[in-house]
Amino acid sequence: MNQPLAEALTHLRMGNQTFLINFYQDNRDHFARWARRQHQQEPAVAHELLRAVLVDFYDQVIDGRLTKLPPDLRNYLYGMAQEQLQAQKTTAELPRVEASRRQQLLRAFGQLGADCQQVLMYFYFRGYNFEKVAGKMGFANATVARLQKANCLRKLVELRARAMEGEAPSSSPAA
Amino acid sequence: MMSPAELRPFLDELERFADGQMTAIEQEAFENRLLHEPALREAYQLYEQISADLRWVAGHETLRHRLVALDRRLDQRQTALVRIKRRQRRAQTRWGTIFTVAVVLLLGLWLLLRPGGRHSGTSWQDYYVADPGLPQSATLDEHRPLLAEAMEQYREGHYPAALHALRRVPTDNLGADTMLYYNGIFLLSQGDGRAARPYLRRVIQQPGTALSRKARYHLAVAHWAAKQWPEARTAFREVASDSLNPYRQAAQQVLQADVLQGEE
Repeated sequence: MNQPLAEALTHLRMGNQTFLINFYQDNRDHFARWARRQHQQEPAVAHELLRAVLVDFYDQVIDGRLTKLPPDLRNYLYGMAQEQLQAQKTTAELPRVEASRRQQLLRAFGQLGADCQQVLMYFYFRGYNFEKVAGKMGFANATVARLQKANCLRKLVELRARAMEGEAPSSSPAA
Repeated sequence: MMSPAELRPFLDELERFADGQMTAIEQEAFENRLLHEPALREAYQLYEQISADLRWVAGHETLRHRLVALDRRLDQRQTALVRIKRRQRRAQTRWGTIFTVAVVLLLGLWLLLRPGGRHSGTSWQDYYVADPGLPQSATLDEHRPLLAEAMEQYREGHYPAALHALRRVPTDNLGADTMLYYNGIFLLSQGDGRAARPYLRRVIQQPGTALSRKARYHLAVAHWAAKQWPEARTAFREVASDSLNPYRQAAQQVLQADVLQGEE
């Protein structure tokens, strides 16, 4: 069990998320039963919680906050869920500036249209070239894909700039 | 570090550089400018930071989207499974009900249409244990073809024909007791108890005949068929008390059923 898990960590760092997808598929019902028994959570809420935990775990691996795979991954993830439910975070966190910057970008990303999000995910996460992005998105050619990506990136920068401008007056006095 | 808003004027150039869209000469010139223009350098650093953050955001969001899509698929599968199970259960219930109703209907039909039980009615036919007739081995003798025909007609239920054939059998070819006995049996079988009685009585009166005990039972039934209740009761009691009578049990059943009563 340990060997594949150790490999899974490497794969996750390389952007292969299959391990977590499989974990969700295999443990969704078990987790829902656990959450109902321990925390009286409805299945839909429990499923959402497990998804959030898995994304958080993924972030920990990608950020390098987690360098060694826990001996019992399920226990570790259920522990993270418990922490989320009790709002007591004990796992390593990112420095505040970095975390805030990423959260800001995440919020801006969420404001983009679905197509823009998809183009940026293909390009920045999957590492697809423009030709493949065009093929996946149904664009005429690679140039269209490049222009679309440039356009989406501009929108994201604008949204982030606007968000920073909105936050600046209130955050300055506090700082 | 500069703000994202300040990045706007540099964005085109930075993107072309980062995406490898510049020619070799353009790229070299841009790298030179990066060394000498602090504003461009700062914009490049910001661009790289945004790209790195965007890679994180894209990975984060890709996983989130994949998990949500998987969740939806699992929900759909679960719903479909529940629906299939419910449909199967409903079908099972439906077929179970149909089967039960069919069984109940068939049972009802059988109860209504079944041939009357041996002891269900009060008529003598319900209780009568008919004589099987002479076996074929006893009648196939070439000297007794009429007797064989009579027995065959009797077994097939053609009593008048059987009687007619029996009466044509030469008397030297058949014992008087047998002739009288089967006359009585055939008449009784065709429902004429009154006419059967004298024949059966005469069999009983024949000295040393082996048919005497059998004849007593059939005479009792003939009394019953003729609605001669006291005679019938007496005759049945006699048969029922005779341990050697082959019809003893049949007679006892009639007496136990207490059916020998009615208007005379």
